[in-house]
Amino acid sequence: MAMQVCWLDNLAKALETSARTKKPVLLDFYNPQ
Amino acid sequence: MGAVTYPDKAVIDFVDYNFIPVQVQVTDTALMQKYNVSWTPTILVLDADGKEHYRSVGFLAPGEFIAAMQVGKGRYYLDTEQFPEARAMFEEVISQSPEANAVPEAIFFPGGHPVQAHPRPKPLREVYDTLTAKYPASDWSQTGRAL
Repeated sequence: MAMQVCWLDNLAKALETSARTKKPVLLDFYNPQ
Repeated sequence: MGAVTYPDKAVIDFVDYNFIPVQVQVTDTALMQKYNVSWTPTILVLDADGKEHYRSVGFLAPGEFIAAMQVGKGRYYLDTEQFPEARAMFEEVISQSPEANAVPEAIFFPGGHPVQAHPRPKPLREVYDTLTAKYPASDWSQTGRAL
């Protein structure tokens, strides 16, 4: 199992993967500071 | 979230199994504006067309995060008319995390959905009675008054 969430950094890529896998996208807006 | 919730093993496994996770920094003003986001953390559940089905604003500890995102996935299923999957997801929240803040919403939506999920009046009344008895202070109890 992964030791961290495997976040994508590109929404378009996530939407494309969502369409293929039928899983919804979890979009997290965050402030790295 | 990055220091406490996202490193949690249960959260990692839950997100990996249920979602396609993507993180966007607040410097992406185009996306911030598109989704009307002005606060972090803000977490959205989207379908493959980018349409929003659920929103959470503010910090969530691991258990609350999982319960909230189970509701979020339930809302996604409900909106996309996958009713058995929606019901299963809401029931999972209620059984796995009975003390979570997301539970009243998980109770409300299966019974409260007015179109196809549960159109009969008796279950709707039961939902309202359950919400007002167990969670009288919840916003979902007040929303359930319409039932």
